[in-house]
Amino acid sequence: MVTETKARSSGAITLKEWESRKSFVGFTDDDVALLREVRPTADGCVEEIVKEIYARFMKYDEARALFHNETILNNSKEALRRSFRGLTGGEYGEGYLLDRIEFGRGHQRLGMSLRWSMAEYSIYLQMLLPRIHRALEKDSAKAMRALLAVIKIVSLDKELTSTAYFLAAEEVISRQAREILELSTPVIQIWEGIIVAPLIGTLDSERTQQFMERLLEKVVETNSPVALIDITGVPAIDTQTARHLVECITAVRLLGAQAILTGVRPSIAQTLVHLGIDLPQVTTRPSLRSGLQMGLDVLGFQLQRANSHQLAATAAAAP
Amino acid sequence: MSNVAISVVKVGDVLMVTMPPDPDDRTVTALQEDTLQAMERFEARGLVLDISSVETLDSFFARTVAETGRMVALMGGRTIIVGMRPSVALTATQLGLTLGGAATALDADHALACLRDAH
Repeated sequence: MVTETKARSSGAITLKEWESRKSFVGFTDDDVALLREVRPTADGCVEEIVKEIYARFMKYDEARALFHNETILNNSKEALRRSFRGLTGGEYGEGYLLDRIEFGRGHQRLGMSLRWSMAEYSIYLQMLLPRIHRALEKDSAKAMRALLAVIKIVSLDKELTSTAYFLAAEEVISRQAREILELSTPVIQIWEGIIVAPLIGTLDSERTQQFMERLLEKVVETNSPVALIDITGVPAIDTQTARHLVECITAVRLLGAQAILTGVRPSIAQTLVHLGIDLPQVTTRPSLRSGLQMGLDVLGFQLQRANSHQLAATAAAAP
Repeated sequence: MSNVAISVVKVGDVLMVTMPPDPDDRTVTALQEDTLQAMERFEARGLVLDISSVETLDSFFARTVAETGRMVALMGGRTIIVGMRPSVALTATQLGLTLGGAATALDADHALACLRDAH
């Protein structure tokens, strides 16, 4: 069905799933008919309900802070009005589903905690249900069924809003995860012709890809013949990480630079040998310091301690 | 598709060969022929192959470059490949493509210095 694909694009909830949720809760065509019948009553008090909800919001700092300007406030009120009208709108198919998902996402984007959205429904029910009861008081059995219909659609709606909210939150989390990935793999030029890439943590495939790209680009950008890949901050090494490291080193070599693996601590050395990983043709150094020393040698630099007389003078001058 | 002639320039006793961007198979084959002919003509002792214009490296290219390196060695020359793009290096590594152990350098300057020192 064409509509199947459209609903799928709204996130994790397909039309099929929506139907299954409705049937689990016992939301039937009878309920749809009842909701259509109470629609005038509901529409009549939506304004009052929204007003009451926002009046209460203003009493709470946390909620008030979200509506810090006129536009946001008015847009939110309008969205809530539409949402409430939709509950008794009479249509509960794909259009409804997509609408709800968008509403839930909107809440998440606004930064409103889910508890407020859930609470809104409670106020809605408290204000609407007595009116429906009064409107249908001539037929108490029907009144009961109508109340139940509203309760059912509200519970379905809460499910949708929460799901959408979490979907949106997930998107934020994966974006942040990507940013963290970028933050944690800096590549720094520490000398003319030498760059250092300190690795912290473990290397999974995705991180390796990121890391390699940055490393190689930096080599070319700074025209550095020496790249020190420092693994002092890598707590444990496994076969996968070792393999990825070899990939990095090979790639650097292809560019025409030399990669030196520094910071190979005893525990890492032990693990590698026990795993039978040899790291052939990889130049290694136990510390970043010795790696730097080697890099300077490769580039033909010689370091000499400055005149010790001058050193003493500096020490005396320092407070 | 490019059918541009490959640039072969003699600098001292070293050959500088520059690959055009996006070389097709015919151009890659021409690389080998032109290079070896130049090696014979100038009796160069070094070859600097600049691939900084090449954006994608396929296995045919990699293989030909590796072969050429070995052929040049047999003719008394040493090959250094320069200017590989990071994206190309990444792909080559992931695909396990090697350049047959050919040496690499960051740029022509480094390559020439390297060839000078080796002497």
